[in-house]
Amino acid sequence: MKRYVAITTLMLTTGFLMAQDATPAPASTDFFSDLFVKMIVISAGVVMLVAIFVLYRLLMTVIQVEQIKIYKEQGLEAFLEATKKPRQSWITRLYKSWTAAVPVEQEADVLLLHEYDGIHELDNKLPPWWVAMFYLTILFAGVYLYYYHVSDMGMSQLEEYEAEVASGEEQVAEYLAKQANLIDESNVELLTDDASLAAGKTIFLANCAACHGQLGEGTVGPNMTDNYWIHGGTIKEVFKTIKYGVPEKGMISWQSQLRPADMHQVASYLLTLQGTNPPNPKAPEGELVEPGGNPGAEQTVPPTDSVTNSL
Amino acid sequence: MEGKSSHAEQFYYDNKIVRAFAYASLIWGIVGMLVGVIIALQLVFPALNFSTSWLTFGRLRPLHTNAVIFAFVGNGIFMGVYYSLQRTVKARMASQFLSWFNFWGWQSIIVLAAVTLPLGLTSSSEYAELQWPIDILIALVWVAFGINMFATIFKRREQHLYVAIWFYIATWITVTVLHVVKNLEIPYSLTMSYPVWAGVQDALVQWWYGHNAVAFFLTTPYLGLMYYFLPKAANRPVYSYRLSIIHFWALIFIYIWAGPHHLLYTSLPDWAQSLGTVFSVMLIAPSWGGMINGLLTLRGAWDRVRQDPILKFMVVAVTAYGMSTFEGPMLSIKSINAISHYTDWTIAHVHVGALGWNGFLTFGVLYWLIPKLYNTKIYSLKLANIHFWIGTLGIVFYAVPMYWSGFAQSLMWETVYT
Repeated sequence: MKRYVAITTLMLTTGFLMAQDATPAPASTDFFSDLFVKMIVISAGVVMLVAIFVLYRLLMTVIQVEQIKIYKEQGLEAFLEATKKPRQSWITRLYKSWTAAVPVEQEADVLLLHEYDGIHELDNKLPPWWVAMFYLTILFAGVYLYYYHVSDMGMSQLEEYEAEVASGEEQVAEYLAKQANLIDESNVELLTDDASLAAGKTIFLANCAACHGQLGEGTVGPNMTDNYWIHGGTIKEVFKTIKYGVPEKGMISWQSQLRPADMHQVASYLLTLQGTNPPNPKAPEGELVEPGGNPGAEQTVPPTDSVTNSL
Repeated sequence: MEGKSSHAEQFYYDNKIVRAFAYASLIWGIVGMLVGVIIALQLVFPALNFSTSWLTFGRLRPLHTNAVIFAFVGNGIFMGVYYSLQRTVKARMASQFLSWFNFWGWQSIIVLAAVTLPLGLTSSSEYAELQWPIDILIALVWVAFGINMFATIFKRREQHLYVAIWFYIATWITVTVLHVVKNLEIPYSLTMSYPVWAGVQDALVQWWYGHNAVAFFLTTPYLGLMYYFLPKAANRPVYSYRLSIIHFWALIFIYIWAGPHHLLYTSLPDWAQSLGTVFSVMLIAPSWGGMINGLLTLRGAWDRVRQDPILKFMVVAVTAYGMSTFEGPMLSIKSINAISHYTDWTIAHVHVGALGWNGFLTFGVLYWLIPKLYNTKIYSLKLANIHFWIGTLGIVFYAVPMYWSGFAQSLMWETVYT
């Protein structure tokens, strides 16, 4: 019986340790690479072991009953009595069988004859639980090495790294997509921080300057530095114009080329150009919007660009 | 004929050398731990380096580790070995000259370390920071200690070698090999050298050395001390001779392979990393063999453990040993190491071992030894008890928040920021 308990514990622990090391495996058709399937296999194994154990106990009980019957027939009442003597509780028996310690009162039986400066040594057996633990860790070592280096089930650190980077990139993309969708013409607000405006300037120079001039003075496209607006000069209106464009007048829609965050930045930068008076300005077009009436115009004191622009 | 039989052979144990090492351990212990407190405070108040290069964290930190490991524990080892070896082999140390050469040599190494490390003269290898001239001095002193020990064992009056002596021998042999191989270097000037190892080989040699410094400088000699001083203090027979044989051989065979667990997720090949992991896991039982043999030796003496601060120190020491040798293998498993590595968890783990196991066993031995050496009594049992409780609570208050912050650091690193 001891042995069965030991084996069951062993199997359970091994299963646990294996599950612990299982990392989310990449999609594969390999039967064992699926953690769920593995768990089922392990559970089935455990159930089978329990079943075997129950059957074993049943068999033992039947044998005992038969034995008692035979003893009775032969009239060995004394033996029967002996088998009925009060037994220690299972926990005490388990404790004793797993420690195998000679009680302190009987330690003279295992006392070795040597003595070193008054130190004596007993010769107790190796505690079986300790031996079992040792074997278990050796078994773990075998399973671990097999799992990672023979079976190909475990990922190498390079594979693990690639999987982590892929999942990280997925998270970044997810985050960016979410961020992007949060900004549109209905909720966009003016950005005033230097980093955003600097990014906006880069986007402006790369995409807008061709038609609106390096300084926003206007060439093919209208002047961006005066107070006249054709399609409105608030941040929301400018964002909308950039996003959807005015195709009939040559202003293309940028939403397929710039992310909402980019359009947000460039629109904010654009409004800092108000009142910078660059050389060779294009004549005003559209309606005059008084700086006071323009929610964006109040904050158009350009922080850094004014120096370069006025040169 | 009559003259021969009536005159019993007379000899005396050398207790002076034991006293010297005991004092050295005490003094360096205070110094080493004080430096530890200073650098801990510097983490919170960086101004405490007073803008002085030799007081900066980077220079004081190796001073702290070297002082605690090699000065506090090192002198503790010599103290324990010189006391117990003489008595378990029933012979005086073979050479008084070598004993004192060992003592003054070791102290001068420590002083040299205390000067060169703050000056920034270092080989930059953890636990092997000292420069080549000091390395040579260490080798000389260590060999002198070895010759003295083996000569004493050779002229012993006791046929069998007690288990403590096996551990001392294992310590001497392995530390010799570790120190020499790790410090193979080509001198460039008196204060500068280049290691012969490079790249991933250097990393592997480093952690083969570093891990086994823990194994054969902080563990095996102290297990030897435990096997002598614990049964002495408890006045109980060692629980199992058989267990001591098995766990001794298992321990020294398996320990030496476990180093690569310091290099998980590095350029070290996967197979070598796995080897480090599985040998670390297989170390649990051999390590615990020492713990249970110590704790079970106290069977029938637990009533005295409650009264006697010496036994209390030893029980906490052995328990801390058991905890950190269980934690270590767990930290060697890749998925757990991915959380713990490079965080405060490692520092907490090391201190449970160093303060709990080495510190508390040293204190226990000192409290037992000093009254014996001076034929007196502990000045105040109450103070010893206060010492015990402050120390125990101190370790708990040290380790638990560090585990916590280690986890926090790891979780923060794993978070994706955009």
